[in-house]
Amino acid sequence: MSEAPVVPTTSVPDLIEAPITEAPAEPGRLRARWESWMHAVFTLREDRFFLLLAVLIGVFSGLAVVCFRLAIEWTQITLLGPSLAPSFPRVVLTPAIAGIGVALLALRVFPRVRGSGVNQIKSAMYISNGYVPFTTVIGKFITCALAIGSGQSLGPEDPSLQMGAGIASLIGRSLRLSQEKVRLIAPVGAAAGLAAAFNAPISAVLFVIEEVIGTWSAGVLGAIVLAAVSSVVTMRAFLGPDSLFRVPPFRLAGPGEILAYVALGVAGGAASLLLLKWIVYARPKMQALPRWTQYFQPAAAGLLIGLIGIRFPQVMGAGYAIVDQAMHGQFVWQLLLLLAGLKLLATGFSFLSGTPGGMFAPTLFIGAMLGGAVGSIEHHFFPGLTGTIGTFALVGIGTLFAGFLRTPITSVFLVIELSGNYTAILPVIISTMIAYGISRAYQKVPLFDVLARQDGLVLPSIEERREMTSIVVEDAMRTDGVLVCEPGEPIVEVARRAEVNPEAALLLRMRPGEWWLLDRDDVLRLAPDAARTTTPIHAKSKGPVPYLFRDQSLAEALQVMDDWPALPVASRADLGKLEGILTLAATLHAFRRTPKDD
Amino acid sequence: MSATNPVTVNEVSPRVLSRELVLLLCVLALVLMLALTALLSRLYHRKIHTLADAMFAQGEADEQAKNFNAALTDYRNALVYNPGNTRFQFHLAKALAAAGRDEEARSYLLNLLSESPGSGEVNLELARVAAHINSMADAMRYYQGAIYGEWDRDPIGMRWQARRELCEFLLNRGAVKQAAPEVIALAENTPADDPLRLKISGQLLLRTQQWSRAQELYQTLLAANRNDEQSLAGAAQATFELGQYVTAMEYFDRLTRERREQPDLLNLYDMTGRVLAVDPFLSGLPADVRSQRAANALSMAQTRAEACAPQTGRPLDKTPPQTDLQRLYQQDKSLQQDWTQPNLQRFPDRLEAAMAYVFNVENAAALACGEPQGDDRALWLLGRSRSVVNR
Repeated sequence: MSEAPVVPTTSVPDLIEAPITEAPAEPGRLRARWESWMHAVFTLREDRFFLLLAVLIGVFSGLAVVCFRLAIEWTQITLLGPSLAPSFPRVVLTPAIAGIGVALLALRVFPRVRGSGVNQIKSAMYISNGYVPFTTVIGKFITCALAIGSGQSLGPEDPSLQMGAGIASLIGRSLRLSQEKVRLIAPVGAAAGLAAAFNAPISAVLFVIEEVIGTWSAGVLGAIVLAAVSSVVTMRAFLGPDSLFRVPPFRLAGPGEILAYVALGVAGGAASLLLLKWIVYARPKMQALPRWTQYFQPAAAGLLIGLIGIRFPQVMGAGYAIVDQAMHGQFVWQLLLLLAGLKLLATGFSFLSGTPGGMFAPTLFIGAMLGGAVGSIEHHFFPGLTGTIGTFALVGIGTLFAGFLRTPITSVFLVIELSGNYTAILPVIISTMIAYGISRAYQKVPLFDVLARQDGLVLPSIEERREMTSIVVEDAMRTDGVLVCEPGEPIVEVARRAEVNPEAALLLRMRPGEWWLLDRDDVLRLAPDAARTTTPIHAKSKGPVPYLFRDQSLAEALQVMDDWPALPVASRADLGKLEGILTLAATLHAFRRTPKDD
Repeated sequence: MSATNPVTVNEVSPRVLSRELVLLLCVLALVLMLALTALLSRLYHRKIHTLADAMFAQGEADEQAKNFNAALTDYRNALVYNPGNTRFQFHLAKALAAAGRDEEARSYLLNLLSESPGSGEVNLELARVAAHINSMADAMRYYQGAIYGEWDRDPIGMRWQARRELCEFLLNRGAVKQAAPEVIALAENTPADDPLRLKISGQLLLRTQQWSRAQELYQTLLAANRNDEQSLAGAAQATFELGQYVTAMEYFDRLTRERREQPDLLNLYDMTGRVLAVDPFLSGLPADVRSQRAANALSMAQTRAEACAPQTGRPLDKTPPQTDLQRLYQQDKSLQQDWTQPNLQRFPDRLEAAMAYVFNVENAAALACGEPQGDDRALWLLGRSRSVVNR
């Protein structure tokens, strides 16, 4: 069922510009218009055409996500019944029986649907030139709808993200975009899919930047934003504009209340670490089991979840309705804590069994329950706290998201977008940062990187890349070993100074911002016979040479350096003021020094 | 490719044609997918709305049957399929409140209030929750919000109802002073053609001891229906408290015997009879009866003072007198000759002074030993009513 990656064999022109020709009178006005429109479209620069495509991808992804969500809901109503508390036989048997179906589909028909969607997109970007097979889109749609609809403790966001990427990849390949664009189009679709799934365009954009691409690339940012916005608009047209959760209003009474959220950050960090460690530890063990067991693992997970569901049906499925109830203080803290623990367990069962589905929704669920529990306990001891249980649940969502998925910026914005409420921003920032810090301290490698390595892929670690220190000119430049000469200075004087500093490079400052490299030997050769009026201008020199600034990266400096043996480092405030000199040898030496040496 | 190397449409025509086709296919696919999604969405929404409405209806039925836990499940199920429905949320909140889960109800209601801060019904429900958890400040705030809030149906009636609940909340917590202005406002806003609400207002006026207003209100009611028992009882009570015992007795007399002998009225009726029996100032009394009653009153007052003194530990004959009761008792001795029954009959102008003395003794005894009972109470009440009249 797999498709061979289609890689363009010929380069595609970046610019296809031509004068707009007159529309022919025949064979008719309609055709003329069509040709005119097509002409207008295809004479766009490819990067502009890419933006147009982003909108198209966004609309397609939005529609796909709408259909996907409807499919999940319908499956759930059909299999588990419309009530939040399904009947005993349904709750036990449905996830187990559906698990067999899911396993058969995943192993026999759609082999690529298992695993993390985020990593599959990253591997599409970095390994297979943006190729995401469309069969994966279909496979994810069917298997995830069946799995989540039958009660497996997984969410629809990760599959939505992958579906968006698959659609984008198909469109990009079909239109034979340049290889670079095809590679970048998968994250564009991913952002669209995720935005529609969460009804949160900003968070989707940030997630893709934070976790998939890793840099704020101007070349793709516009397309990602357009795709995310158009997908959300499409989704809202069918499913309505409401935020995922409705949170009661909240007001932080004083700075002392921040401490309440510090405690939540610590609890969230610990819980996310627990989930991470469990998955990191148990997944290789599950993968090591004989292949035939994979046919039964989803069913076994379904049965276990069903058994939990007899008493606590809240843990089944994505659980958005339950999160909403928790936010409205519907559960006592004991139940909230229990639900958080059971959901953690159930999510582990589902994910480790290889059942296709995402971890985003369970993370939200666990975070909300934990947040609500911590809030309830704190309210018990400090009845004066103004934050409602809903606020704590909301902050808990961001906290666990940051701790588990290690995307702190996305977590903060996700909370705002999910609730449509800005008031909790301060507690969210504090709590998420604490959870993120705890998670990083005790689990060095982030979840997605661990999963990739367990699957035998060596994908770039975005977190590591994000935190890599950039070496700048300042780290390599020398502040001594350079002599600055003026155009009117007698060459005799210059030669005298050069003899005192035999290793120094000679720089001639013609005017602010114009530097020349003097040939030292020529200066020394001219000096003995030179008249008082002979100046460095009469000596051999190269220039004007480009100049650098001390804050520029060494990578940039290398590009500028070209064949120059040394370049001046000027002050940004005064281009005539020399701050140092950068030589090729010093640059290479700086690169050779690793961060640990520092 | 660089900008200096433009490639025209014609030069890459095979690829452009291919793109044209792909784009055309994309547009066709988009149209098809839009249509499919619209169809699915329509079917889905119809389905979930049906489910939500059915569950909501089931919830209402359960709520009416006082099966609140089942109603909660139904409302929650309904909200799963229509989470933004404020009516469902409101009913869920009401059911939660009815089930005694005040905090949960409050949370939902606050959410609803944030969406429509002026909603009278949400404010009223929040006030009820606050009243239930004895949060006085919140209850006051939300009741006021309900009174001055917006109501979709029958705003006057609902505001009246909200104010009535506020009055009852305050009275149940003994905040009579705070309740009084609200009760007065309630009575003033009660339509004159609504006897049921007038009676409720009357009851609240009685509870806040607004006797004159209550009497006036019941008189209005009796003007419309002179034999209405509830109005007669209210009027009798108000009139009794105003010290108009003759009129009160008239109202009592118009009541049926059964009603008159019910616990809330029996004491009042009995006391009215006693007051009228000891009152020497009643018009139409013969002089001998008048003087006899005054003499009896003097005797009762003396007995009351003598009975009270041991309770206070201060003998009545202690000189010099230190308490009002001692002073009055010793004064009595000097006047005993003037206030005999024959003298009082012969000199009716002494009657007023003699009875003033009686009332003073009863008041002093009441202050020292607590409110009197029986005929002493009748004399004490008579004295209070006389002082009001005199003032």
